[in-house]
Amino acid sequence: MVESHIAKTLEDALKTLNSGKFRIVAGGTDMLIQNRSHTGMPIGYKDNVVYINLINELDYIKEDEDNVYIGATTRLETILKSENAPKILKNIIHEMAGPGIRHTATLAGNIANASPAGDSLVGLYVLDASIKCQSVDNTRIVKIKDFIQGVRKIDLKSNEMITEVMIPKYDFSRFVFKKVAPRLSDAISKLSFVGAIRIEDNEVKDLRMALGAVYMTVLRKEDIESKYIGQSIGELKNNIELIIEDYNSFIKPIDDQRSNKEYRKQVALNLIKDFIMKS
Amino acid sequence: MKDISKSINKVDNEEKISGKAKYVADYTMDGMLYAMTKRSSIAKGEIVNIEYPDLPKGYFIVNHKDVQGKNIIKMIFEDWPVFTEKNISYLYEPIMLVIGPEKSVLVDIIEHIKITYKEEKPIFAWTDSVIDYHFDKGHGNRIFDDADEIIEHTYETGYQEQAYIEPQGFIGYPEGDKTTLVGSIQCPYYVKNAVIQALGEKDENVRVIQANVGGAFGGKEEYPSLIGCQLAVAVKKIKKPIKLIFEREEDMLVTTKRHPSKTVFKAAIKNNQIIGLKAHVSIDAGATIGLSGVVLSRALLAVSGAYTIDHLDVSGDVYRTNTVPNGAFRGFGAPQMFFAVDMFIEHIAKSLNFDPLEFRENLLVKQGDRTSTNGLFREPVLMPNMIKKVIDESDYKNKIKQYSQKGNFKGIGMSLFFHGCGFTGSGEKNIIKAKVRLKKTKDGKVHILVAAVDMGQGIKTTFRKLIAHMLELDIEEVVFNNPDTDFVPDSGPTVASRTMMIVGGLLARAAKEMKSRWKEVTFTVEKEYEQPDYIKYDELHFIGDAYPAYSWGVNIVEVEVDPVTYQVYIKKSWSVYDVGKAIDEKIVLGQADGGLAQGLAYGYLEVMNHKDGKIMQKNMTDYIIPTAMDMGEMETYLFDNPYAYGPYGAKGVGELPLIGGPAAVAKAIESAINKNIYKIPVTPEYIMELMNND
Repeated sequence: MVESHIAKTLEDALKTLNSGKFRIVAGGTDMLIQNRSHTGMPIGYKDNVVYINLINELDYIKEDEDNVYIGATTRLETILKSENAPKILKNIIHEMAGPGIRHTATLAGNIANASPAGDSLVGLYVLDASIKCQSVDNTRIVKIKDFIQGVRKIDLKSNEMITEVMIPKYDFSRFVFKKVAPRLSDAISKLSFVGAIRIEDNEVKDLRMALGAVYMTVLRKEDIESKYIGQSIGELKNNIELIIEDYNSFIKPIDDQRSNKEYRKQVALNLIKDFIMKS
Repeated sequence: MKDISKSINKVDNEEKISGKAKYVADYTMDGMLYAMTKRSSIAKGEIVNIEYPDLPKGYFIVNHKDVQGKNIIKMIFEDWPVFTEKNISYLYEPIMLVIGPEKSVLVDIIEHIKITYKEEKPIFAWTDSVIDYHFDKGHGNRIFDDADEIIEHTYETGYQEQAYIEPQGFIGYPEGDKTTLVGSIQCPYYVKNAVIQALGEKDENVRVIQANVGGAFGGKEEYPSLIGCQLAVAVKKIKKPIKLIFEREEDMLVTTKRHPSKTVFKAAIKNNQIIGLKAHVSIDAGATIGLSGVVLSRALLAVSGAYTIDHLDVSGDVYRTNTVPNGAFRGFGAPQMFFAVDMFIEHIAKSLNFDPLEFRENLLVKQGDRTSTNGLFREPVLMPNMIKKVIDESDYKNKIKQYSQKGNFKGIGMSLFFHGCGFTGSGEKNIIKAKVRLKKTKDGKVHILVAAVDMGQGIKTTFRKLIAHMLELDIEEVVFNNPDTDFVPDSGPTVASRTMMIVGGLLARAAKEMKSRWKEVTFTVEKEYEQPDYIKYDELHFIGDAYPAYSWGVNIVEVEVDPVTYQVYIKKSWSVYDVGKAIDEKIVLGQADGGLAQGLAYGYLEVMNHKDGKIMQKNMTDYIIPTAMDMGEMETYLFDNPYAYGPYGAKGVGELPLIGGPAAVAKAIESAINKNIYKIPVTPEYIMELMNND
């Protein structure tokens, strides 16, 4: 028999996590599906479960001069409606799932699920988000690219939980989110793309691109980006074939029931090209 | 008297919208047990040994040894066992039911039943032909001797899943000597007759009741006979109420789907005109033949589409493979063929440098023309006016010109099609022999006694409306309950766009008689199907009138293709249908929207394939059906064209609006990317391939 515990406070949740092996359920929109069982039977959890969805103290969106802070139980719909959440993230959430899921699912849950097709992740990579992990006796902050280690693999100890997502504030001249999904709503991405650029006096001051579902984790190559920072926008566009060449070998998608690798690869490169050429 | 087409509210709106409507999963009974299915884990081979765990008290295994009658499902072609005995012919073939009070225990038992197999190499290629048909019209193949050019193309279509909201299910229970089943079904008497054969029982000892049906689309035509028989065998053995409801994934992995097809077309061209066509159609039956022969017939009969071609050489094969059995699906072979033929005629026009619209209009079927089997199109054909209507409304002629310029990635396409209403050939007369009853009771109410099922298409409303209208009664005075085989005669299955035209036609005849005898306090009128004298059909040689009447349609669809991601966006559609006479306009328009959505999605969105016999898209996350956001605005027009034998002139509705969707959307995409399309679904992956071939 698995044990399930409904935590009402952060302290309660952390103590529970410290007392044994527990899976954390926030919105549950992925956990329920992954552990589904026959109609009329209990959910098929194989481990103990702690529900954190009622922890009100983690339901917040705050900001200071440099960052936006999103609590672990904040619903996607709350972020979508908020004034201070980053625009890129709101654009992404607008295209995630459907209204029902968005009212239940959390951003922290999408991160912890660590699916290569997780839509919010491409945005969080581009925005250099950090994850706050807490346990009864420790708090640490990890960059998202370090937190996510592989397909459904994350840097979270068994007595820790994500309590907050921290997103630095940036000013971009232009950004694009493209979810390539089979239909317009309620669909899992075949691949996804975020591009963001800051241009001042015709010079590229900042350039970031991230791709989802073309590699084991979200693909963002800061070393490639930095090669083109400082160029004029004209030079950047002239270098498009080089940029494509730079990314080409890192894009390694798979065949699955939703699409094939040839499509994913070609569209990923098309999206990079389209973003640069329209900047 | 007011026009019958004027819409009323659907009679079951309130109970369905409020959630009060009871579906089979909602039934519980005292002492009820659950059934789950133990299935094969290989696609082809033999069972060598089965090891069972110790069963806890109150748990049962039901398998082929418990079948007291014939271990074969009664249907058109009988090759589907109730429980497989030894030979496995597809992955997840049902071997036994495991039955008991706790589902968690059932899951555990199923996990611990160890089956050893002698595995054989499964066949997935189309090599094992089990049915082949051939017929000619005019000079057949000989016309190709006169040709000065031959154009050849091959067209392919994929699987389609019915994706009804409610999965398959039954509850069964004993009533004395009787075995009773309540289920989500299209054809109460198909199930009843199948159960009689499997149990080896007398007619009066089997009762089948229809529960509310949450969608069917053909998926609940023959498949319920299989699980109905399995459950009936279990109920007779255990003598307790038992419920068997499929989970979504189980349903998608094991139930019947639309037959994938491949059509090789050749056209004999002389003086830039088509003088004859040759077609060979292959369809994949999956592991059992079942209805596949009739599906192939319907495809072959539509070989020349909405066009008249004097010389035809038509053939086709049903291939058996070690995959999930394919079966009935709205359209029943016609969607595959109308896609192929409408694309082919367009492609011929293009390669002969004709304006495709004019080329197609010149070939259109006219009243008095011969059908593909030398029957007659007897009724007026309104297609020229119907085409004009949607061409004007959509501004088709300007748009097709404008969009044909390279680089704008906008497209518009048009399909022309018909659907033969009712059973193919003499099926109504020879096989179905429909019977209906109207009963007037002392309270002055009139009861409709037929086996037709409302699966969402609205027959509960339209039948009551029809009878109320004819007898000049309030609709509340007309009663129509879900069919129960203990009380209603066999009016045939709820399939083949036959319900309003055939069953409704019989009811109208009964109502006419009832009206003339209205003074009698209580009485019953029964009517039996009589084939119109002019219908003569030779099934063996494909000669004569395959259908008593035809419904007609035109779809125009406008799309945009994203040149970066190759995604297709449907902007708007314009449709016009001739269904004789709408018994309720809103209900027909509902069928029109839903049918077109299902047809368009079949053409560009719904991807299903198997890998080593296993269906890869096994849930609604991976099998993509459209949302309202994907479909764009749908504009629909209805043309009246009353048919003498249909009630108020009504012909078939249900399947027609699906049939033109695939060709319309494929042509729209062709016009957006300036490439010919030869297969559906036209996915972004396929569009990318086409666009890379520059």
